Amino acid sequence: MDSATLIQTLLNSVVASSIYALVAVGLALAFGVMKMANFAHGEFFMVGAYCVYVLYGLLGLPFPLAVVLAVPIVALLGLLTERFIFRPTRRNVLAGFMATAGLAFVLQVAAGRIWGVGIAKGVPTPYAGTAEIGDANLGWQRLIIIPCAFAMLLALRYFLYRTKFGKALRACAQDPEIAALQGIRINRMTALAMALAGASAGLAGALMAPILPVTPYIGHGVVLIAFIVVIVGGMASIEGAIIAAVLLGFIHTFVTTLADNLIATMVGVVFMAVTLILRPKGIMGRERA
Amino acid sequence: MALLLELDNVSVHYQKIAAVRGITIGVGEGEIVTLIGANGAGKTTTLRAISGLERPSAGEIRLRGQRINGMAPERIAELGIAHVPEGRRVFPYMTVRENLEMGAFLRKSGTELRNDYEDVFTRFPRLKEREKQLAGTLSGGEQQMLAMGRALMSKPKVILMDEPSLGLSPIMCREIARIIRRLHEEGRTIVLVEQNARLALALAQKAYVMETGRIALEGPAAELRENDEVQRTYLGITTAS
Ligand SMILES: Nc1ncnc2c1ncn2[C@@H]1O[C@H](COP(=O)(O)OP(=O)(O)OP(=O)(O)O)[C@@H](O)[C@H]1O
Ligand SMILES: [Mg+2]
Repeated sequence: MDSATLIQTLLNSVVASSIYALVAVGLALAFGVMKMANFAHGEFFMVGAYCVYVLYGLLGLPFPLAVVLAVPIVALLGLLTERFIFRPTRRNVLAGFMATAGLAFVLQVAAGRIWGVGIAKGVPTPYAGTAEIGDANLGWQRLIIIPCAFAMLLALRYFLYRTKFGKALRACAQDPEIAALQGIRINRMTALAMALAGASAGLAGALMAPILPVTPYIGHGVVLIAFIVVIVGGMASIEGAIIAAVLLGFIHTFVTTLADNLIATMVGVVFMAVTLILRPKGIMGRERA
Repeated sequence: MALLLELDNVSVHYQKIAAVRGITIGVGEGEIVTLIGANGAGKTTTLRAISGLERPSAGEIRLRGQRINGMAPERIAELGIAHVPEGRRVFPYMTVRENLEMGAFLRKSGTELRNDYEDVFTRFPRLKEREKQLAGTLSGGEQQMLAMGRALMSKPKVILMDEPSLGLSPIMCREIARIIRRLHEEGRTIVLVEQNARLALALAQKAYVMETGRIALEGPAAELRENDEVQRTYLGITTAS
């Protein structure tokens, strides 16, 4: 690997880590509060991407505005998912699994019906230029993902650790019954967790829309990695998810560059298996948010 | 004395099994009322029913005459009942300070609230030293203090305490007893569940003895201390006869 390729791959790794972290953090947060895995989480990413496709690609709004609008739209989708799928099935894990898996399918079919399946819809690249870093060239379109993801993750961290409702959300994740005894409304907190999950996954999808071909099935690959990240990170741990996202981001990008995407995914799964053998509860090994 | 908290013929079922069977309990303002009894007698279930974690299958629970059974726990917390749960249950990955903040979740920030943090920290100086420490890393006794402090932060009208002495050293038990006595002197109303009947009967004014979901005996704590049955079964005193 020459130095140009190395720098390029390193930067691509940071970009991939950022996206994985955005998607996985929401999954971990929702799991932490509800102890249920959202199998439609990848579709939140997909809907985020379609928001940009529609608002920017079709309607011609400025790209940054489209991205900013995608966040509350997908947050609302998360909110509705909590209200109409998770809340009614809270007491039944299997029903919750079926319902979210069903929602994933419904959202895919809906997107396919409205905007068509199969054809990879290109979203015009808003920032076509490249940055020259050493001998490497990296598209601005990818580079802007890094500060956007950082800003989102920092905002999320500030919310969870510095604000009253963020702390209440963590309390719910740690012991919902005792949180209720403090006067915290569990339903509100789960709704909040799902809104945040939607917002972060939606942002990731929106940022990736000009880079990936937008299809109704775009969420698959992303959510698979997000699940690996969350399992490696320790299921409900936000910090664990971020650490694992960075590790997976680097592993995946380097293996993809050296071999191919399929092998990279296999290596990711092997990495998860090895982590779980060494640390059965994941890197952070605890249920926290 | 006007009753602050009343349980009127309350039953609680877990599916088909009755854990509490038609108990009637009265708690006066400023009183310490204790519930003692063997393992599985239904003491924890009774407290959980009061704070709304379990729904009574029959009977009524009233706070200042207002029916509260059937309300959600967060609503009951708002009405002024604080629950120091069995096993302490502090939020393990939150700091001592954050645990107290959760206790004060329903309150508005201001001078009064700041004074209450100060109050908890003077009551439990150990918590002040460990303000930034994660609650899960505290010792059992410190966690008990935190659980009590968290309850006090809600400015409750009634405090429910479930086995505060459980698993603590004799010294720590005495410390907890001292704290409870002090709360009583300040006029707080406390429902105290204890395995340690000696401790409970020494602290309380009124006592109820529970056996398999029923009230087997009740009366002033001083009287129950002298009761043969109580002495034999709960205080381990064998009376020569
Ligand atoms: N969640 C539950 N599901 C089914 N049965 C339960 C549940 N919780 C308690 N019980 C049963 O209800 C009865 C009363 O239990 P409870 O915990 O109230 O007793 P306790 O007096 O607090 O006992 P201990 O002194 O051991 O804490 C017991 O027989 C127990 O097995
Ligand atoms: Mg008990």
